[in-house]
Parts: sequence; structure tokens; C-alpha cells
Amino acid sequence: MAARSLRAHLLRMLLPPIAALLVLGALVAYYPSIEPATTAYDQGLIDAGISLGTYIHTEGGRYRLELPSAVDQVLRRDSYDSVYYRVLGPDGEPIAGDEGLPGPPPDREARDGFVSYDTAYKGQKIRAVAVPAKCGDAACSVVVAETTVKRRRMARDILFSSLLPEIMIAFATLVIVWFGVKRGLGPLARLSDEIKARSPGDLRPIDAAGTPEETRPLVSALNGLLDEVAQASRNQQRFLANAAHQLRTPLAGLQAHTELALAKSLPAEVRAELEQVHQSTIRTARLANQLLALARAEPGARGNAAELNLKALAESEADGWVHQALARDVDLGFELDWAPVHGDAFLLREALANLVHNAIEYSPRGARITVRTGRNGSHSYLEVEDDGPGIPLPERERVLERFYRVPGTPGTGSGLGLAIVREIAAGHGASISITDATGGSSATRGCRVAITFPHG
Amino acid sequence: MRLLIVEDDAPLASGLRRILEAEGHAVDVTSRGEQAVLAAAQERFDLVILDIGLPQMDGFEVLRRLRTAGAERNGPLPVLVLTARDAVDDRVRGLDLGADDYMVKPFAMPELTARVRALLRRSQAHGGPRIVHGPLALDTVARRAFLKSEPLELAAREWAVLEVLLGKVEKIVSKEAIIQAVAGWGDDLSPNAIEVYVSRLRSKLEPAGIKIRTVRGFGYMLEEYKGA
Repeated sequence: MAARSLRAHLLRMLLPPIAALLVLGALVAYYPSIEPATTAYDQGLIDAGISLGTYIHTEGGRYRLELPSAVDQVLRRDSYDSVYYRVLGPDGEPIAGDEGLPGPPPDREARDGFVSYDTAYKGQKIRAVAVPAKCGDAACSVVVAETTVKRRRMARDILFSSLLPEIMIAFATLVIVWFGVKRGLGPLARLSDEIKARSPGDLRPIDAAGTPEETRPLVSALNGLLDEVAQASRNQQRFLANAAHQLRTPLAGLQAHTELALAKSLPAEVRAELEQVHQSTIRTARLANQLLALARAEPGARGNAAELNLKALAESEADGWVHQALARDVDLGFELDWAPVHGDAFLLREALANLVHNAIEYSPRGARITVRTGRNGSHSYLEVEDDGPGIPLPERERVLERFYRVPGTPGTGSGLGLAIVREIAAGHGASISITDATGGSSATRGCRVAITFPHG
Repeated sequence: MRLLIVEDDAPLASGLRRILEAEGHAVDVTSRGEQAVLAAAQERFDLVILDIGLPQMDGFEVLRRLRTAGAERNGPLPVLVLTARDAVDDRVRGLDLGADDYMVKPFAMPELTARVRALLRRSQAHGGPRIVHGPLALDTVARRAFLKSEPLELAAREWAVLEVLLGKVEKIVSKEAIIQAVAGWGDDLSPNAIEVYVSRLRSKLEPAGIKIRTVRGFGYMLEEYKGA
């Protein structure tokens, strides 16, 4: 499912009703205000008609309009519109004024004695009123009309002045929604930042204080899940601790007794058998250790990460490695520089121990092994280099797989060491590279395994 | 020497007992933490080998009680902790509680016996006026050294470096640690200077079979004396 933007969704939902409200609001504002304005302009025409009517003269059944030219000028003067008039006799015969100015439609009813109507004259839309006028005993009528320039202008002004605030309100609504959603979702963003910043092993519940009411169910569901994961992780840790104890103690006993027996004088064939038992015991012990380490390196079982220094980590283990190396007549050396990382001390120690052990195990007598830690730019690294036989190029990817051993490799390894290293590196977001040794002679390519950590 | 083994796994306990008895020690074994605390309070032992994973009172608790009880007794009682658990916390906790050394099961017997020897030697030397290492003897009160009973001339700095190494036989010691132990206030000792002192010590001690091994890029290790 495509991710849906809550904001876009809200805007999509809000836009049509807002647009509809905008139109409706404009109409609601427009019509009530256009009506009185029209009436006011009509009233001007009516007044003009009434005035015109007073200039009708009756002389023995004949009607005449005696309009001083000054009055005619005043009447027709208008800033925007052309003004027309026409005076009609009792039988509708034209007496004076503009020829052909249309009279009121017959079906149009008078209001307060006046008829107002829209029509056209000389190709222009006009607004006209018919006003009754006394001419002697008879009833004449006056039609006054004007073009609709100022009326249209007024209508436009009214529409515009009612629309402008509406548009502003609509715009403000959209802006408020846009930022309101961002602001409203702020606590969620903070929540996700908090979760993102956590290390994989950090399974403490999320603090619900400071999160809004609406996200509480989400937070409490998350906390429920975290709690279950933490519980499962604790169970696994406990199982591993118990398994380690249950496996190692009898192995220690087995090793002790075999070594005791080997210290005695024995018939040659018994000694040979016992040597086998002893080797197997040591192998089993190492395998048990490696399987436990592998299980521990799995995400669910990870312990707590902390700020560490690879240099200090290597120094704390150096003594044991040096003794292993001496036992195999290998020259183990160190080039240790400050290398801070954020990680699990147990697992990193295990990774480093596996690399060193491999180097010691697979290098010939008299070989030279160097353990390095340091920083390369902002990346801390640890690496173990030897001048042993090296790992052929095509095998370098496969040696990281569990239980894989390069064909023809001597010794009794299980093929788990580098798989453990890979697992641990992956858990720390670190990368592994296997290359030829830099200082290797041409006879032996040597091997350098480096783990580079994300900057920390 | 008299040793106490606190280990609930019977085969391992009997194996340890026989190996240590073969080394010439008198060994008592108990499988219970409570008994170990009681025994240590009533009798004098030179070393305790303590398993952490004991039933009921665990090794940490035993260690804590030994340390609080030992404070008012005569001299420290060295404790070598054995554990089958590999959580880092265990190691740190064990050492914080005052364990003198730490071994993860399973282990090779020669390594155990070497560590036991080292611990016993250290506790004998501790506060004692005389440090002996094979044919070498240091009288720390009179500040005089003897090699094969012959007086041995040592410069002050050589003496200091040798004393540090003798305190950690079969353990690697970093150059920084030697500098820290040897240099007084305001002294500016370089790693190169340490190399000079070590090479002078070597020329004096190696003919007698005492070997100082170089750990490349790290420091030195005084090897256990195996005869000339």
C-alpha cells in the first residue's frame, strides 16, 4: 500500500467543501446587497420620471413637453451611463423624448405605481422605469432609462468585496491545516525520532508523558510489544547463560580428568586414544563457545551497547592471546590506537578473539600476526593481519558463511569463527573486508581481515 | 600451600583437587557457598578457587562475604574465580568484588596451575621483604638484589622496572603501565627509555635463564623460570 500523506488527505477532503462554501457565501452575500442598490438606482430614475412629468402641458386635448434645455441637460448628465427618456400620451402616443425607447412589457406589474424593467436600446442593455404622469384629466406616462455601466460596476464591487474576505478565510484555513497537521503530528515525529535513536538492545518502554492523548493507544501498544520483546530477550539471555553453564562445567571436568590421566604413565595405545579424547574435548569446548557466541550475536539476544574503545578492548584480551601465540610459536604483535565505537563489549571481544584465534590457528610456526585498532577518518576499525597462507580470492565471501571451511585447510576448526565475526559486525552496522596482507612477501600473500565501524 | 576449592560439579572438583594436590598443595573441597564462607572464617587458607555458579549462595555472594570478613583478618586471601558464564558483567563484577584472577570454563590444567602459582607467589611477595624468582632474589627492604646468591648491581630505574615485571610473572605488561609505575612526579620517561632499561636487565638476567619476552607493540612479559 502506498504511503498516504495525512496532510494531503485532509486537504483533499477539505478543499471541495471549502470551495462550495466559498461560492455559497459569495451568493449569500451578493443577492441581499445587490437588491437595495438596484432599488436605489431605480429610485433615481423614478424621481427623474416624476420631475419630467411636471413639464407636460395640456392644451385642449393636445399634449406637449416644455422642457427647458438646461433641465434636459441636467437630466441626461451622468458620469457613467447614457440616460434616455420618452413621454407618452394617455393612449400611448409619443409626445416627446427619444424615439423608439421600449415601453414596459405588458405582463409586468407595477409596484407603488411604477414599473421597472430590463430591456435594450440602441444595442445596449438598459434599465428603464415607467412612471405615471398627470396630463390634465388624463394619465400620461414617462419612461426613463439608463445604460447599466454603473450598475454592473456596483455589482462587481459588491461581489468582489464579499469574495475577498472569503478567499482570505479559505486560504487561511488551508494554511492552518497544512501547519496544523505538521504541528499536530509533531509528537509523533518526536516519538519516531526517539525510537530511531535507540540502540537495538534498548527495549525500555517509551515514556507516555508528553505524548498527546490521541497517540496514547499507539504508545501503549508499542510499549506492550517492547515489553514482550524484552521479556523474550531476557528469556533467551537466561537460557544462553544456563546453557553455557550446563555445557561448560562438565567439559571442564572432562578436560581436567583427561589431562590428569595423560599426566600418568600409560601404555602407548591408551595414550594415543586419550590424546584423541583430549583433542575432541577441546574442540567440543570451542564449538560450544562459538555456538553460544553465535546465539548471543543474534538480534534478539543482544546485550547492552555502550561507548567503548577498541584499543582498551584489545589490551584487556592481549594477555590470553599472547600465551596462545607463544604456545604455537607465533609472533603476535600490536599496533593499538584510540578507536571509539558504540557497541556490545562481549560481542566485540568475541569477534576480535575469533580473528586472532583464526590467525594463530592457520599460520605456520614463526608467523607474524599484528592486531591493529585505530581510526580512519571518522571510522574506527580493528584488523588482524598475518603473513600466513592467505585466503584465495574466490573463497573470501564463502569463508564468512557458517560451517564453511576452505577445502584442504588443516586443523580442527568448525568453520564458525568468521561467521560469528560477520554476525557481530552486522549487528554493529560494521563492514568486513578480507584482503591480502599489506606487508606480505611474494611467497605468502598473508591475510588481513578488517572490520570498519560506522562513525561513532 | 593450603587451598580451598568451592565447586559444585563433583567430577570437576575432584579433577581440580587431584591436579593441585599433585602440585604439592593441601586441598579442601566444598560444594556449598555457605560452607566456604564458614571454613574461610575458621581456618587459614592461602588461596580460594571459587565457582560463580553455585546453588543457593552464589560465588559473587561468597566473594563479597570473604572480602568483608577478610578486611579484619591477617592479610588478603587471594581468590581465583571460575565461571561458566561469559557475560561481560560477570567478569567485571567478579573483579570489582575483589577477585584476583578470573578463568572461564573449560580451561587447560597447565593454565590453571600457572595462574595458581602466580597468585600464590604474588600474595607471598605482597608486603613481604623478599621476592624470589628462580635464581633471582630481591630484598625490598635493603634494596639489594642477588643472582645465584651473588650481589647484583641494579640502577634505580632498572630495579623499578624489574619489580613491576616480577609482580606480574607470565602476564604481559604494557610499556605505559611500566612508565606509570616507574616514573615519579615530573619525570618524563619515554617508551624508548623503558626499552633501554629492559635491554640492560636482559643482559644481566638472561645468562641465569631469566627471560623477558618482548610483546611487539605492547610491552614485556617476564617468563616463568624454567631453569637455566
